[in-house]
Amino acid sequence: MAYQLIREWTGIQQFPLATRTKLIELLGKLKQENVNTLTILVMGKGGVGKSSTVNSILGERAVTVNAFQSEGPRPVMVSRSQAGFTLNIIDTPGLVEGGYVNDQAVEIIKRFLLDKTIDVLLYVDRLDVYRTDNLDKQVVKAITDSFGKQIWRRGVVVLTHGQLSPPDGLNYEDFFSRRSEALMRVIRLGAGIRKQDLQDFAIPVIPVENSGRCNKNETDEKILPNGTAWIPNLVKTIIDLVSNGSNAILVDKKLIEGPNPNKRGKFLIPLIVAFQYLVVKQIQRTIKDDIKKEPKAPWELRSANLKF
Amino acid sequence: MASFGAQGQLFSPPLTPSLRPRRRLASSTPILKAGSSTPANTIKCDLSSSSSSSQNPESLTPKKPFFSLAQALAFSAGAAGILLRFSPVTPLVDSGDFSGGGGVGGTGDGGGGGGGGGDGGFWSRIFSPAAVAKDEESQEWDSHGLPANIVVQLNKLSGFKKYKISEILFYDRRRGSVVGTEDSFFEMVTIRPGGIYNKAQLQKELENLATCGMFEKVDLEGKTNPDGTVGVTISFLESTWQSADKFRCINVGLMPQTKPIEMDADMTDKEKMEYFRNQEKDYKRRIDKSRPCLLPMPVYREILQMLRDQGKVSARLLQKIRDRVQKWYHDEGYACAQVVNFGNLNTREVVCEVVEGDITQLVIQFQDKLGNVVEGNTQLPVVRRELPKQLRQGHVFNIEAGKQALRNINSLALFSNIEVNPRPDEKNEGGIIVEIKLKELEQKTAEVSSEWSIVPGRGGRPTLASIQPGGTVSFEHRNIKGLNRSILGSVTTSNFLNPQDDLAFKLEYVHPYLDGVYNARNRTLRASCFNSRKLSPVFTGGPGVDEVPPIWVDRAGIKANITENFTRQSKFTYGLVMEEITTRDESSHISPNGQRVLPSGGISADGPPTTLSGTGIDRMAFAQANITRDNTKFVNGAIVGERNVFQVDQGLGVGSNFPFFNRHQLTLTRFIQLKQVEEGAGKPPPPVLVLHGHYGGCVGDLPSYDAFALGGPYSVRGYNMGELGAARNILEVAAELRIPVRNTHVYAFAEHGNDLGSSKDVKGNPTEVYRRMGYGSSYGVGAKLGLVRAEYAVDHNSGTGAVFFRFGERF
Repeated sequence: MAYQLIREWTGIQQFPLATRTKLIELLGKLKQENVNTLTILVMGKGGVGKSSTVNSILGERAVTVNAFQSEGPRPVMVSRSQAGFTLNIIDTPGLVEGGYVNDQAVEIIKRFLLDKTIDVLLYVDRLDVYRTDNLDKQVVKAITDSFGKQIWRRGVVVLTHGQLSPPDGLNYEDFFSRRSEALMRVIRLGAGIRKQDLQDFAIPVIPVENSGRCNKNETDEKILPNGTAWIPNLVKTIIDLVSNGSNAILVDKKLIEGPNPNKRGKFLIPLIVAFQYLVVKQIQRTIKDDIKKEPKAPWELRSANLKF
Repeated sequence: MASFGAQGQLFSPPLTPSLRPRRRLASSTPILKAGSSTPANTIKCDLSSSSSSSQNPESLTPKKPFFSLAQALAFSAGAAGILLRFSPVTPLVDSGDFSGGGGVGGTGDGGGGGGGGGDGGFWSRIFSPAAVAKDEESQEWDSHGLPANIVVQLNKLSGFKKYKISEILFYDRRRGSVVGTEDSFFEMVTIRPGGIYNKAQLQKELENLATCGMFEKVDLEGKTNPDGTVGVTISFLESTWQSADKFRCINVGLMPQTKPIEMDADMTDKEKMEYFRNQEKDYKRRIDKSRPCLLPMPVYREILQMLRDQGKVSARLLQKIRDRVQKWYHDEGYACAQVVNFGNLNTREVVCEVVEGDITQLVIQFQDKLGNVVEGNTQLPVVRRELPKQLRQGHVFNIEAGKQALRNINSLALFSNIEVNPRPDEKNEGGIIVEIKLKELEQKTAEVSSEWSIVPGRGGRPTLASIQPGGTVSFEHRNIKGLNRSILGSVTTSNFLNPQDDLAFKLEYVHPYLDGVYNARNRTLRASCFNSRKLSPVFTGGPGVDEVPPIWVDRAGIKANITENFTRQSKFTYGLVMEEITTRDESSHISPNGQRVLPSGGISADGPPTTLSGTGIDRMAFAQANITRDNTKFVNGAIVGERNVFQVDQGLGVGSNFPFFNRHQLTLTRFIQLKQVEEGAGKPPPPVLVLHGHYGGCVGDLPSYDAFALGGPYSVRGYNMGELGAARNILEVAAELRIPVRNTHVYAFAEHGNDLGSSKDVKGNPTEVYRRMGYGSSYGVGAKLGLVRAEYAVDHNSGTGAVFFRFGERF
């Protein structure tokens, strides 16, 4: 797993010309900023379309997608290079199992990510779900606990199944904004983002549609009901995020294991020792008192004042 | 018989001079000094004085102390043959008075009643009657050869016959009745019914009675029986003196004897007056010189009351006073104290002279296996510092002090046999020499013990192939330089064929009396090198997690510490430890990380790190201090009191990854007695409530092998070792109620252990990795069956109970 074969990004050829041009332009922009690699972490509940999104971005079947069986238990990193630029996408297994966040899955992901730098987190959920619940919050919390709150400054919420007809004649834009609003609330709660920090954590929400039946525009780009070509849009958002001034998240031991408890309070040890010295002295004094107070047999006392 | 001496002095001179013509010493002085050289000085501690005391009911020597001693010994001595012995006492006498060897009850001159002759006769009387009787019992006795039922005066008896005495009657002339055998006078007679005596012996007996001062007049008559035996009637008139209203008790031990001046029979009245006055003056001086007695006020008052109630001072009253005074002394443990004389009779004050048993010398002797006195290897100060000061010269000998000396010396573990033995000082009358006889243990010992162990094979079943020869080789060099220093070493392996598998060794040097053997401070230096192998409780699965691959923690290192003993139980230990810790898996490979079983069934070795360095081998040096305050004591076998232990391990930043930490533990245990009970052997113990709290915490570097494990028989019962978690800080609380049942107890307990949320602060969070709760409670009941505790404990986390058998105490 450690050594990842970096292959030529052939999938980019599969994109329509318009998309391809935009992508190369965006990547070129990144290159100008001396960014040669981009690592994208894709996370979310199971079965929301994480792997499909990865495949859509890469334009090839890089990771296996199965309609019924949730993806493999291990995270997969796919690396593609294009003109000296490397794009890494890490697909992860779903975090939810049996209605709970699967700690072990989180643990495995963390271990997988050890010593990697995460530039962008794609938090994937479905657009066509009408409500959010506590489980979503738990998932967000698990991610936050693992990588810290800062990861959300590099976070993008991806809503799959973007090509839907909103129910009850609701406007698509309306539906989308309400859904994203609900999701953002959950993320704010789960990640513990305070209101005053909201500007720093402006998390973009991007709808996507991975289905092959996705509508296309005149230049053969996949488009959403509102007419945006979503792949360039997503990549653009990602690249904007990378250049927004926040730091990429380096997953090191410390991040995974939390702050080193062995370091904590170390400077207090001399004080503690001093205090303990006093405690020992105090106990010694008590023992001396005990000896004095110890009941003595009459003969012991009597002979003490006997003189010769 | 010793007591006889006490009565011997009891007389009122004006009334008895005529009765004591033979005894030079028993002069007719009014100052009662006469008896001072009489057996008075026999010391009462001849408790074990063999045959004579068993046959002689008049011996006042209380056997009780001896027996109670034997008990105390069984208590303290264990296997070693230890004895606090009261040897047969050689009677103390003036040189002129007694020439017999007198080892045991004067058997030296036991052969002939009159053989002692002269002044010795009295002695032989006192010390040998039993022996005499015994010697002659087998022999024929002679019939009186007279008609039956006639009264014969003593002087009418034949001097050549041996008479068998059928009975002895005491006839009190004043009361005009025969007194019963329970009368205190009876104990003064040495002849026994059934004994065989010749005329001279009977005459001497009468003489003794006459000179003892108890009687104004005493006669001995024989009454012939048809079967040839003689019944003896002793008729007496009890001595009485004028009433007294003051009482004084003086210690005359070690005082020089006042030699009474010979009184000429043909003194004029004036001379006599002069003589008496002198005697009186001398006696006053003697009283002034004497030391005060230990006798406390309440006993004084009691005796005064006796005097007041009685009116006239009679011989019987004096006996009672003597008994009371001696009883107090003996109850207090002054086994050698004895009333030797009453003086100042016929004045308003009764003076009771007591020899308390002052220690004039303390002798420490070493004996070889055959009991010969040898020069010991042990230096005397080592023994001497264990002796209570009450056993030193100048104090009154107390049997409790003797017992304590015995216990203390025994705790040195240097001697196979210890005897503490008071014996009368022959050069100092009334003095006691305390002899301590010690048999030393072998200095060098080596031992090989082997055992075959059946170890679990595959699946935990004992398999034949896994039977291995194991054992221990140990040696010990004790008491080096006679200062109780020792070196001991041992090597243990469970498999001699393959000792590298598990070889436990220990080499220890112990150096007591660090501050010098004369210094009262008791500090002991211990230096050792050691190794050990233990299963880590940190890498244990929680409930439902089966088969967490075990991690063995091997420690090898050196250690030096100093222990200061404050009391027998309270102590303070501080020192340095340097050790290398290696963590290994089941197959003895060094493993830097714990293993875990993956859901797929595979094993991955990426569990929590086992060591600080991450390599599986840690080296570290740390300072260690442990202070124990233990006030517990046993009340009828139940432990009562409190015990506090505070321990600190302070890392010094020396070793792998420069470990710097402070690991501390505080344990508080209270044993609360719930009911007052009478103390004593065989009495039931009280119910006891035990409260226990244990806090452990660590700041700084904490390798997993030093984490505090929760759960287990000494943590939270009802769980396996470490089943609840391994944490940085822990708190355990427990309560146990012990109810005595017969000679054991049953108990109910509740316990709780908590990691205080600090499990995550252990690197790798082994608590979570192995799915443990981090806290847990349990409750249950149990019974103590000898050394084994059988208990049923309910694990509160899962709500299931189980029966456990454990050795030893939880607290």
